[in-house]
Amino acid sequence: MTEIVMECKNLWKIYKDIVAVRDVSLQIREGEIKLIFGPSGSGKSTLLRCLAMLTTPTKGDVFLRGECLTKPGVDLNKARARIGFVFQHIYLFHHLTALGNVELALRHVLKLPKDEARKRAMSALEEVKMEKWANYYPAQLSGGQQQRVGIARALARNPDIILLDEPTSALDPELTGEVIDTLRDLAKKGTTMLIVSHEMPFAQEVADEMIFFDEGTIVETGTPEHFFTNPSTERAKKFMMRLIKRTRRE
Amino acid sequence: MDALQQLALILNGVTSTITVSIVSFFIGIFVGLPLSFLRVYGTKSAQILIDAFEKFFRGVPELVLLLMFYFGVGLYFPFPFKNVFFTANFVLGLRSAANQSQIFRGAIRGIGDEQMMAAMSLGLSKVKSVLYVMLPQVIIYSTPGLGSEYALLIKDSSYAYLIGVVDIMAYAVWIRKATMDTFTPYVISAFLYILLTFPIATFLDRWGSRKKKQLGLERR
Amino acid sequence: MEFLLRYLWDILQGFIVTVEVTLFGAFAGLALGTLLALGDLYGGRVVSILIGAYTEFFRGSPIIVQLFFFYFSIPSLLETTFDAFAVGLVVFALNSAAYQKGYIKGAIAVISEDQMMAALSLGLSKIKAIFYVILPQALRLVIPAWSNEFCSLTKSTAALLVIGVKDLTSVGLRISSWHFRYVETFLVVAIIYLAWVTVVTKIADEVYERVKIPGIEISA
Ligand SMILES: Nc1ncnc2c1ncn2[C@@H]1O[C@H](COP(=O)(O)OP(=O)(O)OP(=O)(O)O)[C@@H](O)[C@H]1O
Ligand SMILES: [Mg+2]
Repeated sequence: MTEIVMECKNLWKIYKDIVAVRDVSLQIREGEIKLIFGPSGSGKSTLLRCLAMLTTPTKGDVFLRGECLTKPGVDLNKARARIGFVFQHIYLFHHLTALGNVELALRHVLKLPKDEARKRAMSALEEVKMEKWANYYPAQLSGGQQQRVGIARALARNPDIILLDEPTSALDPELTGEVIDTLRDLAKKGTTMLIVSHEMPFAQEVADEMIFFDEGTIVETGTPEHFFTNPSTERAKKFMMRLIKRTRRE
Repeated sequence: MDALQQLALILNGVTSTITVSIVSFFIGIFVGLPLSFLRVYGTKSAQILIDAFEKFFRGVPELVLLLMFYFGVGLYFPFPFKNVFFTANFVLGLRSAANQSQIFRGAIRGIGDEQMMAAMSLGLSKVKSVLYVMLPQVIIYSTPGLGSEYALLIKDSSYAYLIGVVDIMAYAVWIRKATMDTFTPYVISAFLYILLTFPIATFLDRWGSRKKKQLGLERR
Repeated sequence: MEFLLRYLWDILQGFIVTVEVTLFGAFAGLALGTLLALGDLYGGRVVSILIGAYTEFFRGSPIIVQLFFFYFSIPSLLETTFDAFAVGLVVFALNSAAYQKGYIKGAIAVISEDQMMAALSLGLSKIKAIFYVILPQALRLVIPAWSNEFCSLTKSTAALLVIGVKDLTSVGLRISSWHFRYVETFLVVAIIYLAWVTVVTKIADEVYERVKIPGIEISA
């Protein structure tokens, strides 16, 4: 079996009186694509942020290639440098061009020399078909274009894994297509990804495993076929019905 | 003395007015900027200290501070507080730091945690995230506010004449006393102050607002 | 600091002068500022230009210049003299009005067109619409800005000493120069200023909380 890239064991995240993540354990192996879906407010974003150590989990452990990130004394910046993150609301740096956004980490995290950083940033932009827009500022780009730059920014430094938090849900329906195409390309190249998404046709096509998430925890896991034909829990069944209906409407 | 002669004399004070304002302005940036980030990202005790500093320098009249440091602290530490130029810049500089810290803090809030999180997600350290992602945006975002702060400093530098800085105000008072002309020197000085404040403050306001809009820095 | 106890009465009198000027300035400034804002918005081009010049004079020049202007220049033109305290009241009201005009105008802009249209659609006249629909909302919105303005106004009243009004600062200066105890005296003076500003802004916050309209705010 291939190596486990990212893993969490018995992960909890508790805000004052809300348990956002409840005792979650999961593993992602090299080249695997896992897809998390579930109702709004169920804690999907919180889980992803914990995995990237963008918020500190309350309890439990996160491992990146076997290295525990939740121990005290770990250099989290180094760890994050190996984890790509794509945000639902994109969060491009407003003051930098598309190229500048992608270059930033190459220059100041990987500390590449200027021209090499530029070359790699350009090729990352090419990967998402945004090379023509390299010198545009985020405010001059459409939502779909912005998100493709967001993806290029996350993958430019060749992270071990990319975590994507609903990369298309903030976009107008007609713009989701281009972002989904980009993700499909990444999937073909064997990129290891953990994606939160409700794009069901896409899920069916690329996901090795789907994870139904509700009330902070994993309710059911299985292949896309499993979920599309007969989910075993009542909650998953209902949720799938709604999703499929919505997809048809669109 | 006719108005032109008076103007020529008063112009001698412009250098002092500008110097005090500009030096204080930069003290304000160099102290206020770190304070604003410490206030947002620092420890609880740092926050309390900074709040106290801001309260004091923003709540007490500039004139009271000038008199206190020049006459009072200067009694115990003649060097450097008996130097009028030093004390004027010290007081107005720290006052401006307190103001600017608030301006920058508003900018940090306005730009939002998301930018910081996105920067950290790339593996940038907290310090680097502040340096490469927050700082440039904070400066652009704050430009209109800094314009008003600059205008405020030009005007408030006039208090410094009361401890002996020879600025526009000092010349105007001196001319009034020497010539008994109670009108012209004040009209001239009012005109000069407006000339020093209005164009630059307006420019910074316009430029900053336009740039903010262009870059989409205002949160939707 | 016991020596200050002997001057309790003088300090209190100085404080009362400061209180009178700041309260009068802030409230008269609010009334006049409202008129100026309405004039600027609805009064036509000429009125608007005049108000612009007025605002630029009071916002662009130092308060000391304004005090001198009204204490020395204007009376000498009229060949008369003015009482210093009265000059203080008038200058701070006029000065504050220039600033408050800006805030009120901003508040009206937030509410503005739709509300005006809705009011006119009911058959209200423009004036009635302003008084019954626009102003009641604008004046609520403007309370936080008023409270900021109150702080800067209070600080600038320290300048009253240049025309010889015996406000808190000038009383402090006199006492401390008799004893060469500047630091202690001005610290006490500073604390009184801080306390006064804090009390008034707390009251303003309280009033704002009570009268604010849910969902409508101005970001500062
Ligand atoms: N910083 C925070 N402080 C307090 N509570 C939070 C915080 N972040 C998230 N929560 C709470 O944790 C729960 C899970 O939120 P989360 O954003 O992870 O859900 P989600 O599944 O991503 O939802 P959505 O599909 O709407 O994005 C919610 O109840 C939310 O209110
Ligand atoms: Mg989410």
